[in-house]
Parts: sequence; structure tokens; C-alpha cells
Amino acid sequence: MISVAQLKKSYDGIAYALKGVSFEVAKGEVVGFLGPNGAGKSTTMKILTGFLLPTEGRATIDGLDVVWDSLQVRRRIGYLPESTPLYYEMRVDDYLRFTGRIRGVPGKELTSALSRVIDLCGLERVTGKNILELSKGYKQRVGLAQAMIHRPKVLILDEPTSGLDPNQIVEVRKLIKQLGEEHTVMVSTHILQEVEASCSRILIISLGKLVADGSLADLLSGLPGGDVHLRVRGPSESVLSQLRELLGESVPAEIVSQDGDVSVYRVSVNETTVAVEEGIAHLIVKNDWALLGIWREKGTLEQVFHAKTLHEQVEAGDA
Amino acid sequence: MRETIIVMQREMKAYFCSPIAYVFGLLFLFIVCGVGAVFTLNPGFPADMTNWFVALPLVFLFFIPALTMRLWAEERKAGTLELLLTFPVTIPQLIAGKFLASMSYLALLLLLTLGLPITMGSVGTLDWYPVIATYFAALLMAASYVAVGMFWSSVTRDQIIALILSVVMLGLLFLVGVWGPLLIGEVPVWLGGDHVVLFILALSPQQYFGSISRGVADTGDLVFYAAFCVFFLHATALVLYGKKVKG
Repeated sequence: MISVAQLKKSYDGIAYALKGVSFEVAKGEVVGFLGPNGAGKSTTMKILTGFLLPTEGRATIDGLDVVWDSLQVRRRIGYLPESTPLYYEMRVDDYLRFTGRIRGVPGKELTSALSRVIDLCGLERVTGKNILELSKGYKQRVGLAQAMIHRPKVLILDEPTSGLDPNQIVEVRKLIKQLGEEHTVMVSTHILQEVEASCSRILIISLGKLVADGSLADLLSGLPGGDVHLRVRGPSESVLSQLRELLGESVPAEIVSQDGDVSVYRVSVNETTVAVEEGIAHLIVKNDWALLGIWREKGTLEQVFHAKTLHEQVEAGDA
Repeated sequence: MRETIIVMQREMKAYFCSPIAYVFGLLFLFIVCGVGAVFTLNPGFPADMTNWFVALPLVFLFFIPALTMRLWAEERKAGTLELLLTFPVTIPQLIAGKFLASMSYLALLLLLTLGLPITMGSVGTLDWYPVIATYFAALLMAASYVAVGMFWSSVTRDQIIALILSVVMLGLLFLVGVWGPLLIGEVPVWLGGDHVVLFILALSPQQYFGSISRGVADTGDLVFYAAFCVFFLHATALVLYGKKVKG
């Protein structure tokens, strides 16, 4: 549905905000577009929506070139820019009617399109109000409503949850997930939970380059193994020394907390296979101590993000 | 065409939703009709509308830039330009829509000034031809001023700067039109002589307003206004295309 090939953009002809980004998004995917501030997320989205012209490279939406078939492309997309710009002096329903008409919703269907997005975005209570009077959360919902009033094939949302309170964020995420059932959605953010909550695929961009592309599970599997924790009833000194014997001196093992003869230990292994847990469990049982729990810390998207983006920035001498 | 009309309707709504349209409108009518009446209603003389719009060029000079300053500057400042340029509408359609919205508003105001000519026509004999010619000339001049105002609004995100730049440019063109004729025969030949004076004079919308409202319009005058508007509207389009490259 979205195809981007070697996309480059320079605003001044010298420095490049995008340095050759390529990716594909299939129909029906909800893609999270991640990156630190200034990485090129918004620039990419502005090119896809036809607001900016790329300096080099090519991007197509639904097989149509964003530069040469710009009008056709713009009929197929719904866009929510970063700061949610709206005509504040207009009433919510007037504004949505305007965006529907200008995006080509036929006159007969306008009323039903309007009530559909009002319903979907929960705007019933404010339809007759001026946009200026609305809270930030409602403004954001109006922004989302205008982006999908014409049932676009592709929705491009630039930081749709910035500035919202936690409840509103949850609602908007739910909405995005729901939208994924009908539209192809690309949503940029630098809030990582957002991606975990609503996206089936993640793209990470840093300093104008794509540094990661895959599902959350893909990206996490690339991480070094997380620490193994175990809770054991038994003499802590001998448990620790037996653990070191089993895993080798190079593997750090330590006591995290102690409560009577029950201690929690942390073992920082690099291996990700369950063989590690198996070996440890076997050791404890063999010594006749009580194994009260064993679990492995999960890698987080934060770790992926730091690993991918910091690495790039260090390389560029920018960190 | 459909898109142009949708843009125009939204702009008209924006005018009439804010008090500016009404405050400006009343002020405009007060000044134009007031000054016009002083110059037109001479007891004992035959009905004559020649000087009806004597104040119009000066009023337009301040009034139209104030009307047009927000057209693009506001969209740029609020960021709505980004959304506007991603709607399936071409830049010429957007420009035409905004231009027509301003012109409709101004045409409405001019329509409201018809009260005096109608009154004069009903109580005495009035030669309607010059009256119609004057209104036609006023509309053309308004169009040229709107084109200039719109251009300057597109180059900045600050409405006040757009206002100042438009007033300065239109003011210079106005002064050229008023005082330029005095220079005929005064410029030395080595500087180009009268050719230069006539060339500069030819650039002022003021020049053509006079001849049209005297009822002696020729196609050259109409071509001037058309070319003048197209020049500034095209320049506006170039500025907006530039935004797509420079962001």
C-alpha cells in the first residue's frame, strides 16, 4: 500500500533530513514510526502526504507516485499533522463538513460520513461548539475525524497522542487499533508504549536513516538475553557459589533481596535459550533447596530503541 | 471548479464569523459614502456622480491589505496550510478560492454603496452609464489590490508584516499614479526621458481607474488589470510551491 524507495530530503541543499529511507507497508498494517525528535519522521510523512516534495527517491501510495499523481494520492490518504492544525473559528460540524467536501465526499453521503466519524471519535457532545472552545483531547479527536471522514485507504497520523492526558491517550490508541481494521495506518510517535499497544509493525528511524523494521517480537528477539531471576529458600552463600560453579565465574550472579532464608538472585546470562533456566532449576532441586520462582526479564522496546538509535548517533558523532 | 467554490465558501464563512467583516464594512461604507457625498451632493448643480468614488483608491489602499493580510499568513502561522496543501486541491484552485472570497466580500460592500446613486436617480435625472463604469473600475482596482495583498500575505507568517508590505507597495503605486504625470517632460533624455515616466506610470493601477471611471475604458485598461492580477497571483503560487520544497 505504501512503498518508499531511497527517499532523501534536504531543506537547504546541504544537510539531509532523510538520507535514503526505504520501506514497504502492506494493506491493513498498523505501522508505528518511531524515532528521536528530529530523526525524520515528520519529513517522511509530509512527503507521503504530498505536502513536501522529496529531493531524491520515490514514494508511492496504492501504486501512485506521491509527486506525479499527487492529487490522486491525496484523495486516498487522511492526514493528521503533528500540531493538529484546525480552523479554530469554525464549528466542529462545519469544519468536518468542509474537510469531507473538499476531500471529495459526495453531497448525498456527507451527512452519513459526518455522523460516522462523530460517532467513531466520540464527538457527539461537541458538534455544535467552536473548535477554539474544545479541550486538547477533543481537538485531537476532531483532527482524527477530519483525517478519516472520506474513508481513506491510508491514514497518516503524526504524533496523534502528544499533549493528551493518560485517559485520552488510551482512548486514542484504542481508536487507532480499531482503525487498523479498515485502513492502513502509519502512526509516528516517540512514546514507546503507544507502539506496543496499537501497532503490528515497527519502523525505527534515526538521523534520517531507517535502523530497524519488524514486528515487536522480531525486534525484541534481536536483543541480548534478559537477566534470569530466581527466588530460593536456602543458605544464600552456598546457593550463590553453586550458581557460579554452574554458570562459570564470568557470569555475574548476585543477591537482589533477602528475607529470612528466602533470597532473590539475579543472574545476567547472555544465552536466551531455556537451557539456562533448566540448568538452574535442576541445580536447586538437586541440592534440596526450595525453588519458589524463576523468571526471565523481558527485553523492552525501550532497549531496542536505545540500542538502535544511540548506536547510530554515536557513529555520527552526535551523542 | 467545485474545489474552488468549497475553498471560497470556507473563506467567506471565516470573514462573516469574525466581527472584522462587520466593523470593516461599516467603516468602509461610512468613509466612502461620507466623502463621496461631500464631493457629489452640490445643491443647485445637476446630479453628477463623477466624484462619487473620489476617496475609494485611498480607502482601498489601507482597507484591502487589512482584509487580505490573513489569507495565507494565518494559515502559515496556525499550520493549517500544511493540511490545506494535502487536500486533493491544486494550488491555483486554492488561490482562486481565496481571491474570489475577498472579491465577493468587496463586491458586496460596493453593492451597499449603491444607495446614493439610486436615490439620485429616483429624485433627478442621472446618467447611469458613468455610474456603472465607475463601479466596474472600482471592482477591477479592488481585484488588483487583493492580488498584491494576497501575495504579501503568502510570503510571511506575520499578518502585520503582510499588511505593512502591501500598504507600502500599493502606496508607492498610488503615488506614482497621482504624481507621476507631473514628471512628464521633466526627466532628462539620457535617463530615458518620457519613455521611463510613461513606463512607470503604466504600472500603477491608479492610472487605469481614472480612465475607466470616466467611461473611456479601452481593452488596454482591462488587459492591464488582468495582467496585474495574474502576475501577483502567479507569484503567490510560486511562493506556495516553494513551501513544498523548503518546508
